[in-house]
Amino acid sequence: MSVDLAVIHPTRLELLRLKRRRALAQGIADILKKDYDALVMALFEFVRKIPSLRRQMREALVEAYSSFVESQMIAGPRKIDEVSWVCKPVDREVKVDVRKGVLGILLPTMEIVEENASAADPRFDLLETPMKLDEVVQDVGTALHHIVRLAEVQASMKEILEVMSLKRRQINRIEYKVLPQLDASIRYVGLILEETERQDAIRVRVLQRKRKERLQKTMEIPV
Amino acid sequence: MSAWKYKRLTPKVIVSRLRLIDHRDIVKLCNKKLEDASSMLMKTPYRPEIVGISSQQLDSASFEKALVKNFIRTCNEVIKCSPSDVRSLLLAILMKFEVSNVKTMLRAKEAGASVDQAMGFVTSAGKLDDAACRKILEDSNSVEELVDALADFEYGAALKEALSEYEESETIRALEVALDRFVYGRVWKATARLKGLDGKIARAVLGVEIDSTNVKIVLRCKTMRVSENQTRSYLVASSDAFAENDWEDAIRAADVKSTLGVLLGAARCAFARDQLYMLTDILREYESSRSLSQLEMVLDRSLLGISLRMLKRYTAFFNIGAVLAFLNLKWFEVRNLRAIVHGIESRIPPDRITKMLILP
Repeated sequence: MSVDLAVIHPTRLELLRLKRRRALAQGIADILKKDYDALVMALFEFVRKIPSLRRQMREALVEAYSSFVESQMIAGPRKIDEVSWVCKPVDREVKVDVRKGVLGILLPTMEIVEENASAADPRFDLLETPMKLDEVVQDVGTALHHIVRLAEVQASMKEILEVMSLKRRQINRIEYKVLPQLDASIRYVGLILEETERQDAIRVRVLQRKRKERLQKTMEIPV
Repeated sequence: MSAWKYKRLTPKVIVSRLRLIDHRDIVKLCNKKLEDASSMLMKTPYRPEIVGISSQQLDSASFEKALVKNFIRTCNEVIKCSPSDVRSLLLAILMKFEVSNVKTMLRAKEAGASVDQAMGFVTSAGKLDDAACRKILEDSNSVEELVDALADFEYGAALKEALSEYEESETIRALEVALDRFVYGRVWKATARLKGLDGKIARAVLGVEIDSTNVKIVLRCKTMRVSENQTRSYLVASSDAFAENDWEDAIRAADVKSTLGVLLGAARCAFARDQLYMLTDILREYESSRSLSQLEMVLDRSLLGISLRMLKRYTAFFNIGAVLAFLNLKWFEVRNLRAIVHGIESRIPPDRITKMLILP
């Protein structure tokens, strides 16, 4: 770790300035650490949600799949395949937005935009398909809702992790670069100032000695 | 009641009924593997159809085709032994499968599926055998041309009438509904041609079937928030038990429970005992489960129950009740076997498969 000492003026004022900068850097590092801790807590909150969301999603998918198999069992797999040829696909859009989260970080929000319920029209043949098939559509909708919710949490976690890595880099920069540099500069200025003080003291002593010698000489000369 | 009239049909039905699979054996099938179920079914009347399935293509779709083929063959055998008035009713009932083939062809044309792809979903029934279906599919390039090709069939006029609606809406729903209305209308008209006890039994059994179909349509539309006008257009023929006003009130009712309440009241006023039993059952089921799919199972069970109740209410021989009960038993056996085979293939737990069965 090199410090460009040539540009530092070894003065008391500079020493004071360097000490002030060190205190400021230490303060910033402390704040960043507190932010980092807050982010870790927020991340853990999301992490805690993940297993239950995954379980809900898995359960919803299993439910949807078993309902689908049941509807195939009732109407026959061939009939369900055949009906699927002409049934209109459901258009579901995922609306992505942002909200302010911990430390004002913008976290993504995702929401499934439901199709217009007022213009409902049966998607399947009412006589050849069982009512279970309508339940399958609802179950798939529920599963999709859970999938989107999980994606939202994972995207939020990714966002938080990015901010955390940024904060970690900032803390590391301060702790392992800025503070040691400032410490080195302070030590350097301190040493220079000490050296200057020592030189001044020697100079004073030499001058005092010379003054004494001059005084003795003037005393020895007879009038 | 005429024993002479049924001299060929009653023995045929009795023998065929004896060949139905015992429901305990059907339940046992739920625990088997697909290969074991197949070999078990080889010892039943399904053998001629199942023997054609190679071990490589042993799947639920091939089984389904074989089972439906067997049902149609059995129906044809019963029809052959039937007196003329009963035959016209049974032919009308069998037309449901013919119409199902028409729907398959319409769907295939609408989706732009190839002829071979569409033929995989066709099961020969009535006048529409495999060769006829293939020819119609090959000769027509669009839904309009298909409807033109079907003009000579009984439902040709109904399809032609619904064609303009198809062109407006660009969905084949209008054509499907026209076909359903035609078939159920024809079945109901055929029951009117039967005299005496036969007419009474046929109207009771098929009336309940038609009513249960309409109940399903109304309830399904209600949960999907389909408009009243649209719901009305989906209804098939009406039986003796409910007048048009009753269906109107049922469609306008606020929710599923009030719909069932309206129909229950109407059935009580019309002294329609069988409809009353059916609606009471489904209302009780709806109140406990709040699930329409469960309700559908109850409707199917009550349909089978009513057919069997007719045998107890009148005699089990020399009337159409025995034929209709047998056909219903056979159809539900086919449905159960289809459900079991698909359940086994999809690795559904046996207890869950058993719950899906409709047993007498």
